Amino acid sequence: MMRPRFCLLTLFSIFLTGGFLFAEEPPQKAVAKGTELFESKILPVLVKHCYECHSKDGESIEGGLELDSPSGMLRGGDTGAMLEAHHVDQSRLLQMLRHEDDVSAMPPEKKLSKEVIAAFEEWIRLGAPDTREDKGPTAKEQRLDEAKQHWSFLPPLVVKPPAVKDANWPRDPMIDNFVLARLEAEGLKPARDANRRTLVRRVYFDLIGLPPTPQDVNAFLADESPEALEKLVDKLLGSPQFGERWGRHWLDVVRYAESSGMEFNFTYPHAWPYRNYVIDSLNADKPYDVFLREQIAGDLLPSAKDETPEMVESRRIAPSMLAFGPKRHNSSGTDYQMNIADDQIDVVTKSTLALTVSCARCHDHKFDPIPTKDYYSMAGIFLSTEPLYGTIKQKYSNNPTDLLPIGKGAQALHDAAEQHEKKITQAEKPLADKQTELKKATETVELAVKERTNAEELLAAVTARTAAAKTGGESTATEEGDSATADTSEQETAQKELDEATAKLTATTAHAKALKDEVAKLDASLKELKKNRPPRPQYAMSVRDRAKPADTKIAIRGDFRTRGEVAPRGFLSAVNIPNTAPVDPTRSGRMELAQWITHPDNPLTSRVMVNRIWHHLFGRGIVPTVDNFGLIGKLPSHPEMLDSLALRFVNEGWSVKKMVRAMVLSRTYQLSSAINEKSLTVDPNNRLLWRASPRRLDAEAIRDAILMVSGKLDLKRPVGSTVTPLGDKLVRSISTEKIQPPSNHRSVYLPVVRDYVPELFELFDFPSPSLVSGARAITNVPSQALYLRNSKFVAEQARIAAQRLIASTEASDDAGRVSLAIQWSLGREPSEVERNAALQLINEIKQAEVKEGDSKDVNAWSAWFLTLYTTAEFRYLVDAEG
Amino acid sequence: MALNSSQQTISRRGLLKAASCGLGGLTLTGLAPGGAAAGLLSPRATHFTPKAKRVIFLFMAGGPSQFESFDYKPALKAGGGKKGVKNGKLLAPLAKFAQHGESGMWVSDAFPHLAKQTDELCMLNAMSAPSRAHPIAVPMLHTGEFQFVRPSFGAWVLYGLGSENQDLPGFFTVKPTRTFGGPANYGSAFLPSTYQATRLGWEGRPIKDATISNLTSNHGLNQSAARKSLELSQLMNQQLLGQTEDVRGVIDSLELSDRMQSAVPKVLNTSDESKETLEAYGIGGGSTDDFGRQCLLARRLVESGVRFVEVSSSGWDHHSNLDKFKSKAEQIDKPIAALLADLKQRGLLEETLVLWTGEFGRTPETQVLEGKETIGRDHNAEGYTAWLAGGGVKGGLTHGTTDELGYKATDGGVHLHDLHATMLHLLGLDHTKLTYRYGGRDFRLTNIHGEVAHDIIA
Repeated sequence: MMRPRFCLLTLFSIFLTGGFLFAEEPPQKAVAKGTELFESKILPVLVKHCYECHSKDGESIEGGLELDSPSGMLRGGDTGAMLEAHHVDQSRLLQMLRHEDDVSAMPPEKKLSKEVIAAFEEWIRLGAPDTREDKGPTAKEQRLDEAKQHWSFLPPLVVKPPAVKDANWPRDPMIDNFVLARLEAEGLKPARDANRRTLVRRVYFDLIGLPPTPQDVNAFLADESPEALEKLVDKLLGSPQFGERWGRHWLDVVRYAESSGMEFNFTYPHAWPYRNYVIDSLNADKPYDVFLREQIAGDLLPSAKDETPEMVESRRIAPSMLAFGPKRHNSSGTDYQMNIADDQIDVVTKSTLALTVSCARCHDHKFDPIPTKDYYSMAGIFLSTEPLYGTIKQKYSNNPTDLLPIGKGAQALHDAAEQHEKKITQAEKPLADKQTELKKATETVELAVKERTNAEELLAAVTARTAAAKTGGESTATEEGDSATADTSEQETAQKELDEATAKLTATTAHAKALKDEVAKLDASLKELKKNRPPRPQYAMSVRDRAKPADTKIAIRGDFRTRGEVAPRGFLSAVNIPNTAPVDPTRSGRMELAQWITHPDNPLTSRVMVNRIWHHLFGRGIVPTVDNFGLIGKLPSHPEMLDSLALRFVNEGWSVKKMVRAMVLSRTYQLSSAINEKSLTVDPNNRLLWRASPRRLDAEAIRDAILMVSGKLDLKRPVGSTVTPLGDKLVRSISTEKIQPPSNHRSVYLPVVRDYVPELFELFDFPSPSLVSGARAITNVPSQALYLRNSKFVAEQARIAAQRLIASTEASDDAGRVSLAIQWSLGREPSEVERNAALQLINEIKQAEVKEGDSKDVNAWSAWFLTLYTTAEFRYLVDAEG
Repeated sequence: MALNSSQQTISRRGLLKAASCGLGGLTLTGLAPGGAAAGLLSPRATHFTPKAKRVIFLFMAGGPSQFESFDYKPALKAGGGKKGVKNGKLLAPLAKFAQHGESGMWVSDAFPHLAKQTDELCMLNAMSAPSRAHPIAVPMLHTGEFQFVRPSFGAWVLYGLGSENQDLPGFFTVKPTRTFGGPANYGSAFLPSTYQATRLGWEGRPIKDATISNLTSNHGLNQSAARKSLELSQLMNQQLLGQTEDVRGVIDSLELSDRMQSAVPKVLNTSDESKETLEAYGIGGGSTDDFGRQCLLARRLVESGVRFVEVSSSGWDHHSNLDKFKSKAEQIDKPIAALLADLKQRGLLEETLVLWTGEFGRTPETQVLEGKETIGRDHNAEGYTAWLAGGGVKGGLTHGTTDELGYKATDGGVHLHDLHATMLHLLGLDHTKLTYRYGGRDFRLTNIHGEVAHDIIA
């Protein structure tokens, strides 16, 4: 009766250990034996052969595997667990020790002895007991914990603006006190205030991306009230041009483009509604948190009480950001979807959090506290999301999707158009059938013609022979023997055959004719159908949840065929915000992701945006790496100021306009660019903000300014995009003139076709629209000078500006015209030296010209404009002469 | 203030002179300006007598495999199919090796033309670099740093030596890649922007179509008027010099643009090249056409006195498809061999330092990719191959080795920083003295690293 008792005991032990025992001996004994084995055989081997590359105190921790602690042993390395107590078969460790295929052979240099490997096997069978104790966190845990203490993952703190010696200097304590305190600590002084001419030009370009007209300048100079700047700022913030300027900044960040880029590069004719959405949102001062929620999950947001259909449509357009990323289109399956999800993770986390989460696709993030598991938690969300980017099936493109119909009655129009397409498809089938039939019938007719010809020839031959026989003349047919004696019956047969052939021909011809008519009719009606395609609505890109949202598994080393554990959908573990909703398993989770990102307690979102705004107004972020707040990003120059502003941003309802207003009205923003040798030596890069950094205008502002000067800038928003009528095509099949047709609209409305941006954009550092770019490069190269001096566009605009100048009643003589041109271009009066030099230039050209009349003057004055366009002052925000 | 007539005529020399002075904060340290012309691009005295005067940098983006090119590994051939140290199996080289030239240098049959030039090559078989990740390794190779944007190698060289041709930019990059740093890899960072490269073409677009546009005027002004307009613009720019160093970049770019209008078409126009030359470079259709044109352009540029030319070839990241290595190699083999021969024949090779390298090399093992073992190799920065030619290096020398399978450099190791230091040395520049003060600190290309590899210097 011993046996059953033993079984009971075994069962009991299963409960105790939570595992299944293969051991034949009693469990206590097994544990004791295992423990003994561990201490005598296993541990010495670990210490001798493994610690070197797999312990905290060793040379390195290869593959993330730490073998110097029980928890490290059980956790395994980057490729997951390698030890399963009691389960010899499931313990990859043994395969590694045995140097089997498809695993890393360990130790790499020399296989351990058979006895040692057998000891490991036995030890695992006995439950792999480990008598060591965890001494603090493993290196991986430690690294993660340390990384989580990086400033940007900690909540911003309220810091009282510091006291400053020069208490009269600050205007906005939340900015100016922080700046001045640092300067005073370094023994530096802020530069003098910028003069009003300098300021008005700076504010116009910064806020609306356009130069002030002479009237604008004079109005500001004439307004002596203390609120003059405030009034101007409010006017500009309220103008539609504000959204065009600041919308473009955001379009850089979300790598907005109207084609798919990469090796094939298909047009995206329906990306532009997003562009307008961004501009309109900024003009409406849509709270930034709402703006983000719409772009991540606009299609999923619950409808608000007073929401108009236009508002609903606009938030459904917003997630276009997840759809117009660069894509290959010529692939399918998991890989394709995963690459799209990867791009979405990248754009969402970089733009909103300034984190490079997509680095954690194949391994834990090298620097930031972002384990691979977090990446796949987010990947599950985006894999449960279907991007709606459109495109059609054609060569190199095999993944078309739906689009979002937009505009009045869009769905009805779309349905009608789709219905009509169905009709066309339906009409194509019978036509094709009849065409096949007709082809066959035509062949039958041809055969009948042949048969009849044969019959005719036969009858003729027979008739001839009969006739010859009848005349009995010297027959030439004698050699054919008795054929000459053909009788009339033969002739009758031949006649009959001919009649039959004739009848058949008539019949088949008639049939073919009938078919031909039918085909013609069907063809005509198909053509008619095609001609009368009902108008389609406008479309936009978007996304929607997939039918069956699901978690995804970790792809080990980024390989989706080697799946690890399931990563439940969620967000970044390093940013744990209490009271955020977990992902609803029946939905993609985008909504919860959006809420987590825009939660007021998210330490990154508000800081990142405030820093972006600062970057555009001061030329460099408080954190200079505007798209990377991680451990290899740069540290903030004024961390307390950044925190204070971030908290203020949230408290003031995430208002971008209020934040812009606050920064522009600070004393720091209004400084002159004047150099102070001491400050320059201590801080050449002006990180401490002792002056206003001179800044190069971006490509759009340079182009728009040239068009402003010539009076040609069309401030109206164009309808749609010039990419839309091009249809779904490979970009390389379209001529450059069609990709970039001439336009006088603001630069933000020019089509952004990946790898085919306008020349002026490319030359003046427009960022690659395939990459998230919060900060543009600034280069100064001769090709820019060549463009401004020689290009067709600039030459044309200079001539138009010259004509405008000559026609202007604001100047009555050449000196006046010199002055007016410089006011238009640089917002100031010319110096005496400049005026004289300009007059000299103009007179020389006039004298040298052979031609008379208008064109002589136009040539001369256009040379003056060209001169102005090439100056540094035209393309830089610098101090102007008062 | 009124100007008298002599003052009103704006002199170009005066402008240049003014431009070179009084720029607060811009301090060139370590080097004294040489010669009377004192523009930023004028030739400068070196630290010691240079062996090379210019550089052609052939950048193989992606990290070409040393095992299919220049590092002969019989043990790897024998061990093919066996387990590797990491995850894959040892992959026997997919090319056959033979010894070539007087030196008996090993070169694979993927490079039959280059094999004829072995006596010019200084093969560095034990290169190492700090990272085997593209986003780090590419900026490291180009700027010696990855965490911060730093001046590129070419910008440092141009800063150190100035240009021999005042009518052309001193630093060109031909078909650069847009990724892993993009323009920062040929930028000037905190050095004056005058030192950044002028780009010709882009990765992925045929070099044939690449040009510098707008070289001729569309405005119909005659030359003298255009020149006067430029001078007036420069007069206005002078007034801003005190405000930002960028204005110096504008001034220089305008001046240079003026001279480039005549100089560039001449250097880009290859119609004066003989049929034999074109044929030698593999120009005239086929797989060598594009890179052949790039190489020919490199020769024409250095011949015209351009200081530093980088020529890029991408597509060397063979995680899979290593079986296509030979067809990739074919695209560059003939052109590079022709470039070396051409430089030599024109007496230019002696003073032109040619560098061939990727951002790293590859592992001796197969790559396990997406669950499947592929015919490909992963990145390896601990041991790989680069080569130098011309400009004062020992031709025919095979320097350094890795372990017998090629995982790690063992003897004669040359770290990336050492390579930079050595190349600067050959150019007559002491890498510890070629510094630029920025933000209160003296920066250099090699940071705090780098040792000159004297063994490879002729």
